[in-house]
Amino acid sequence: MRWRRSRRENVPSNEINMKLINFQRSSFLPVASVPISLLIWFSVISCTPTVPSDLIAAIEDIDYRLITIGAPRLAPDAYTAFAAQWAALKVRMQTDDDLIRWPWEANHIEDELRQLLAHGDTTLARVQAEQAALRRTAETAIAKLDERLSALSSQVSSWGSHLVLGKELTHTDLLLKQARLFFQQRDYARSLDITARAVETLDVQTATLTRDLQRYADARQIARWQTMARQTVEWSRIHHAPAIIVNKVDRELLLYENGKMTSSYPVRLGYNGLKAKLVQGDGATPEGRYHITAMKGERDTPFYRALLLDYPNAEDQRRFLAARRAGTIPQTASIGGHIEIHGMDSTEASQTLGCIMLNNQHIQTVFSRVTIGTPVTIVGALTKHNPVTVALTGLQQRRDAS
Amino acid sequence: MKSMRQSAGFVILLILTAAAGCAKPPSDAIEAAEQAVKNAREKGANVYVPEEYAKLEGKLTALKQELAEQEGKFAPFQDYGKVEELATSTAQEAAMVASAASQKKEEAKAAALQAQQVAQEAVTSVHDLLARAPVGKDRAAIESIKSDIEALTAALTQIQGSIDREDYQAAQAQAKAIDEKSRAISAEIQDAMAKVKAGKRSLK
Repeated sequence: MRWRRSRRENVPSNEINMKLINFQRSSFLPVASVPISLLIWFSVISCTPTVPSDLIAAIEDIDYRLITIGAPRLAPDAYTAFAAQWAALKVRMQTDDDLIRWPWEANHIEDELRQLLAHGDTTLARVQAEQAALRRTAETAIAKLDERLSALSSQVSSWGSHLVLGKELTHTDLLLKQARLFFQQRDYARSLDITARAVETLDVQTATLTRDLQRYADARQIARWQTMARQTVEWSRIHHAPAIIVNKVDRELLLYENGKMTSSYPVRLGYNGLKAKLVQGDGATPEGRYHITAMKGERDTPFYRALLLDYPNAEDQRRFLAARRAGTIPQTASIGGHIEIHGMDSTEASQTLGCIMLNNQHIQTVFSRVTIGTPVTIVGALTKHNPVTVALTGLQQRRDAS
Repeated sequence: MKSMRQSAGFVILLILTAAAGCAKPPSDAIEAAEQAVKNAREKGANVYVPEEYAKLEGKLTALKQELAEQEGKFAPFQDYGKVEELATSTAQEAAMVASAASQKKEEAKAAALQAQQVAQEAVTSVHDLLARAPVGKDRAAIESIKSDIEALTAALTQIQGSIDREDYQAAQAQAKAIDEKSRAISAEIQDAMAKVKAGKRSLK
């Protein structure tokens, strides 16, 4: 049984005791002193705090730690449950503070506070574990994305195929940066969300690249290129004349004389060199059978020496017109021209607009061996196991692994 | 004797009825508290002051628990005093939390707008730098950079989209990413320009 105590009576306990003792001395017989003393003792007991202050402090500490690790944001339901219980118990404590409790009465509120403390500890440990797991997941996801993006960018850059993907690589890079920023702010869920979006864009880019460069893994296309190269070598052998084969995927110019390969030189291609040229300004290097139509000395070209080719040939024009009819290129697009094998100008560009570039020493050698009319056959690849197919397989494996 | 018993019973019944009639849940106060918490959420409290908002929700839950407890009691023993007290203090705290959320939101908006401006300036700067690059510069690099700048320009519209959606945290992250990327591209252009000496006439 408990009685409600008026707040106005909430005076210091020793003051109550003194008053009662004075009253005892003046008015009562010694025989009455025992029950009165007991009453005083009960009143003292009832005025002691119902809940240990260290328990309250411990709960407040847990609450503070839950807030510090971001539990309201990371585990709102768990934290709200804790906060609700804490708020309810605060109300109960306030209510109980107004009551006089018999010493033999059980203190349920203290039990409940201890349970809340245990619950808070468990919640704290769980949120910490969840946060650590989320952090690890986000960290791993960002690292994988970074690795995939770097691999793709570096591959695209080495192929000179940046424009195959256009703005998409930059878009993915921006997403990666945002994911990192949210990670730094410890917003792992949002970081993961953005990483997932970036991974999706990267998947699309890998698919685009695979589609655009699939012909480097196409056995029939490889066979066609091999036939073109073989026929060119055969022509060189029959006519006892020089011939040139350019292998785009290997970035290599092969010089044949009398049907025998006499030398090979590294080349640089257009900035979309691995694509087959279709229109002016696409940065692609054409594929097909061409001939040297003009030889330019140092005074006629800014590129030290240049061998002008007869691009576009009949096959190029047929493809261009078919694409225009199909609407895959703008109606105003032009087929382009002025494709050369040339040396280097003062800019030492890493790529060309579509031409084949050698260093000046090599172009000088080639220039001295060929004549106007020398056949130049440009092919994508001569073997199915080429750097593009290997790299595409690697990119696809990375995509599957992620 | 029987009449006395009947009278006593009647009196007790009267007292109980009176007591039951007095103890009614403070519906208006509870509704006001709920509305205040809802209002705080609408002001973005769960995003901008999540700690305070979680406490607020906790308090509202405690209020509902206390209400349920009182409603579960036999009518004469129901006491909604604490419920009312909780409802009043919840409503008051919710108003403060809503105000704090509004303030934080305004701060986040201001920060997002500033970051947006910085990003816009950075993209404009890259545009200007590219325009100054000589025609004969490494065309491949220029084409690549143009593509990057197009992506950055498109991303600027995303910042505005986030601001319009009042997702200022996303807007800030987008703006910072654009700024960082723009600076990297600017450095790339300046590096490429340093190598330039002559132009190249070409059709290709």
